[in-house]
Formats: sequence, structure tokens, C-alpha cells
Amino acid sequence: MSVSVLPPASAPDTVEPVRESRRERRRRERLEEQDSNIPVELYGLRRGTVPFLTSLAFLFAIFTLVPIAWIIINSTKNQANIFETFGFWFARPFSLFHNFSLLFQNVDGYGTYIQWFGNTALYAVLGGGGAAALAAFAGYGFARFSFRGSRVLFYMIIAALLVPITALTVPLYLTYAKAHLINSLWGMVLPSMISPVGIYLMRVYVDISVPRDLIDAARIDGAGELRIFFRVALPLMVPGVITVLLLSIVAVWNNYFLPLLIFNINSRYPLTVGLGLWSLRAQNSGNAQLFPMLVTGGLVTILPLIALFLLLQRYWRGGILLGSIAN
Amino acid sequence: MSTAISLRGLTKVFATGVTAVSSLDLSVDDGEFVVLVGPSGCGKTTALRMVAGLETITSGSVAFGDRVVNGVSPRHRDVAMVFQNYALYPHLTVYQNIGFALANKGVPKSERHSRILATAATTGLSELLARKPRQLSGGQRQRVAMARALVRSPAVFLMDEPLSNLDAKLRVAMRSEVLSVHRASGAATMYVTHDQTEAMTMGDRVAVLRDGVLQQYGTPRSLYSTPANLFVATFIGSPEMNLYEAGVCADGSLTVGSQRLALPAGSVPAGYQGRKIIVGIRPEDLGDPVSAGPDVAAALCVDVRLVEVLGSEQHVYFSVDATPAGGDLAAAALAAAAPDGVARVGVGAGIRPGNQVRFGIDADRLHFFDPDTGLAVRPG
Repeated sequence: MSVSVLPPASAPDTVEPVRESRRERRRRERLEEQDSNIPVELYGLRRGTVPFLTSLAFLFAIFTLVPIAWIIINSTKNQANIFETFGFWFARPFSLFHNFSLLFQNVDGYGTYIQWFGNTALYAVLGGGGAAALAAFAGYGFARFSFRGSRVLFYMIIAALLVPITALTVPLYLTYAKAHLINSLWGMVLPSMISPVGIYLMRVYVDISVPRDLIDAARIDGAGELRIFFRVALPLMVPGVITVLLLSIVAVWNNYFLPLLIFNINSRYPLTVGLGLWSLRAQNSGNAQLFPMLVTGGLVTILPLIALFLLLQRYWRGGILLGSIAN
Repeated sequence: MSTAISLRGLTKVFATGVTAVSSLDLSVDDGEFVVLVGPSGCGKTTALRMVAGLETITSGSVAFGDRVVNGVSPRHRDVAMVFQNYALYPHLTVYQNIGFALANKGVPKSERHSRILATAATTGLSELLARKPRQLSGGQRQRVAMARALVRSPAVFLMDEPLSNLDAKLRVAMRSEVLSVHRASGAATMYVTHDQTEAMTMGDRVAVLRDGVLQQYGTPRSLYSTPANLFVATFIGSPEMNLYEAGVCADGSLTVGSQRLALPAGSVPAGYQGRKIIVGIRPEDLGDPVSAGPDVAAALCVDVRLVEVLGSEQHVYFSVDATPAGGDLAAAALAAAAPDGVARVGVGAGIRPGNQVRFGIDADRLHFFDPDTGLAVRPG
């Protein structure tokens, strides 16, 4: 193609961009922004994969949220409406506050909700906190020290994951009876502090988040091993520790089997066993007043966990290590 | 001058059975800058980590002055170390990073403060003390790592490839910074690198390691001018030394391929008459081709394949009718396609690819190696 040296005809074209209207510019900017984003197709996913996965996630969200919606709606109803009105919509009278106030009373004579709530909170804080602390120590030890038998010990911890708790009922009960741990706070807390999953998670987490060179550097800098753990390693392990803490607290909070086994005094019950007892009484003794209390109690039981997750969410952010180690 | 660090028969055998370091003897004088250099996997970092106390010693000893420190934990050895990846504490500020070692030692806060500020000033970090490592550039992180070691005024300073994560330009600039820091501190320094240029430019003395065995220990100049064996000869110097198999005639002249180099009497090691020998010629020792007329007796005739002009000089890659020697098998495999040698000449010489050129050879500047042992042999 021959190009003229003096193209008078194309001169207006060169002025064109100046006269670009605001609408055209917006359109151009939008297109440019689209170009700067890597389109999903380039990730190598097949067409339709993203909408399909999004729909799956959406279905799962509905599946999870429906029971929560039900419990919120029905905690506002009185005894009759729970059974007689449509389960997924509100009905008058609004009884939430009345139901809530019942949780502070020993209505049935078999225990007060708020006391069980306090028990659960205590067990969860001691057990979950202890589990997170032990898992942090043990995970760090397994990840960063090689000592005689470390491998065998670790495999034993993994193996402990495989033993179903029901298989341990009889030996656990007999041991507890001999050790005077029946109806004891420590009977509940001590086993809760042992978290094989937590130890495993922490080991993996330390492996990727606490570089060996960093520990070596601290040793060269004259720090003792305890100081290295608390001053150098632990700050880097925080997201992992928080994760383990949440998992352990949830595990203790929801634990039904262990407290059922070791407590036979109502005032020591955690929420799980207490609500279970109420449920049984509501069905068998005909104390129908217990149903709204059960629903409201269920709602109050899950609220602290939701709050905890939201509260600690920010500790999950990654990239804390950025800049410590080159590349 | 007294000895600051001495290694005696230092050996490391890993649990896997791999011998990383094999009876290493080395001494570093007070205030000396010693570079351990070798290809990756030669055991130089392992040796350094044993000196630091981060690696157990299989046999042999490490002594600081007269004190053997084999069983002493790193925190009680009073060594400072700069790691290849800097290993800065990511959650601490630059100020806290530098002060960490002092805090561990229980240095009073006011003294700590003044020492941190002084060190930051010498390493150019005064403006950055409040930053976290992730807010720093590569060169700045490197400086923090240096400052962290420097603030302790240690007796022994260890550096494990501290410049290898920097880009080429910064690396050259940091070389002189590291040296000025070394001079300011006056500590005996062991510096590990795989870069022979770094070793040559920085070291008071250089130790060349290969497969855990010390090949040669001496000043950069002595390594360059009198390499102890083929490995050192090829490892030190860039471009590499040219090595050829040669025959030694009864009259003392050499045959390289089909060419005969008539050398003055006594310039070839005795005892090799009628045998093979390996002859080494540094690229810059291939004399100016213009002056090497046909009357020059000792000259190497080559075919020019490629000319690299570097501004002040040019590298002439050539093929020659001779068997290249030395180097390892991998290099030999590559050599099938690669040129047989390289010469470093001034830009004035009008050499073009395809030319045939005669390089004059100075008998005094030839290196000779035994073909069986690879060790250097010298005439006379």
C-alpha cells in the first residue's frame, strides 16, 4: 500500500479524538478496563463453568441459610403459632422478648438456660483456648524440631483422629470414675484441650509461614528458644492459631457426647445437653411451654459463634510474611 | 596478625549419607575478608552454617581465636550472619529488626537506641526505621540485614550469598558497600558466594570448594595466576581459560592439534617429553594478532567464529584444530557446537568472523596441567 506523504484527506481524522464526546469517552474507558482484566476464559475454564459453580454455591447457601431463617422466624412466635402457622413467615403476637425472658427462668424445674449458657462459654473458652495453645506449641515443635521419635509421635496423633469417640465411651467413663472427674469442670476441659486436627493444622501452617532461616537468624541474634517462639514464630502463626481457636471453640460448644457422659448434675450441663433434656421433656412430659424456649434457646446458642467468626475474620488475612524472605 | 577463625578437618556427613564438607582446613585472620566460592552444592553454605553453629559438626573443629566452639550453641557464639534471603522479622519494624539482638543480650534501652541509630546512619537506613520489611525494596532489605548483623559489633561476621537476590546493577553497587561495612567493623568475615567475580573482587583471600573439598586457598591474584588444578583454572576467570590437549616433543616444543608451537627451552614442565599434557591459555594472554606475523614462532592459528564487542575490548570466539580439555562432561557435550576457545583483544584489532588469525603466545604465561591428575605442573 502506498502512503502519501501529505494526506490532506486524513487530516480531520487526526483531530477526531479531541472531539470525542463524553459518552464515547466513557465507552472507550469501559472497553479499556475490560481489556486490562484477564477474562475468565483465559484461566482455561470451560464455558459455563463459572455460572455452574456459582449456582452450586448459591444452592449450598440456601441449604445452609434456610434452617437459620426458620429458627429466627419461629423464635418470635408463641407456642401455638409454632405449630399452627406457616413455618417460614411471622405471626402475631410477637413473642421474641417473652420467649427470651423465659431463658432466665427455671420454668420446668430441670435447669435454667442461662446457667447452661455460662457453662458452655466457660468450657469453650478453657477447652478451645487450651487446644489452640497446645496445638500452637505442638505444631511448631513438630514442624521445626527433629527429635527422636518425632515422626512416630506425629503419626500417633494422626491415628487418634481415626478412633471414633463412641468406641472410647466405656474406657473413658471408667477412667473418669477412678480419677474423680465425673461432674468435674476439668473432666470436660482436659479432653477438649487435645486437638489432633489442630496440631496437624498448626504443623502445616508453621511449615509454610515460619521460615527456618528466620528461626536460625533469631538464634544467631542470641534469642533463646522460648523467646524465638513467642517473639518471632508466634506473631507469624496468628492466622493459623485463630483458625484452630475457632475450630476448637466450635467443637467444644457443640460437643454433646462428652458432657452427656460425664455430667449427671443439671447445673453442670452445657447448652447441648440442657437443650436435649428440654427437648425430651417437651415431647414426653407435655410441658408445651418448652417448645418456644427450645427454639429461642437454639437461636441464642448459635449467635455467639456467628459473632466470633465475624469478629476474628480479619485475622485470616494472609501476606503477613511478605517482605521477610526474598522472592 | 592473629587467627580469628580456624577450621580443622571440618567434616559434615548428612543423615542421608551425603558428605557435604570433607576435612576442610581454613583459617581467617583478624579483620580479614575470606570468600568461600564454588558451584552450587559444593558445601560452602554448609561449612558456613557449621561455623555459625546452625549445623552439627560430624568431625573436626571450629575455633574462634583459641576457643573451640564445636559444642557452643549459636546464641553463645557471638557471630553475626547475613542470610541469602535476609530473614528479616516481618512483623517488626526496621528499628526493631536491628535492635533485636541487642534486646536479647539485655543491652540497656538508651544504649540500644544510640547504637541502632548509629548503625542505621552508616547503612543509610535512618529514614526507614519505622517501616516494616514488606515496605522496603530489595536493596533496602539487604541493608537492614547488614545493619542487623553490624549493630552487634561481632568478632565474626558470616555472610551467605547476601547479594544473590539483587539485580545485577545493585549487586555491583552493594559489593563496595559490603566491603566498606567490613572495613568499618574490622571483623573477621567469611563470605559465601557462587559468583567468582564477587570472590575475586571482594576477597582478601579466596577458598575454592568443589564437592566439599577445598581446591585452593589464596589471594585472588594467586588463584588467577597460579591455579592449583584444572577446576580452579576454569572456575576462576571470565571468560574461562582455554584448555587444550597438547603433545610435548623431545625438543620441548608443543603440538596443539596439527600446530607446532616452538617455545623457548625450559618453558614446558620437565618429564613430559613424548607424553600428553594439558596446556591452558587465558583469553587475554592470546597476544595481539596484528603483531603476530608469520615470523613469530609460537603462535596459534585459529578460525574466528564470532566477535563480541564490549566497548573497551572484544571477545573473539574461535575454533581451532585441537582437542579442548578440562571442564566437566556437560560442558564437553555442549562444546561440540560451541567454539573451541576465546581471546580477549583490544577493539583496535580488525577481526571479523570467518577470518583466520594468528595469536602470538608468550611461553611464560602458559599454564600446564597433568592430564591424569588435573593438577597444575610448572616448568623448571
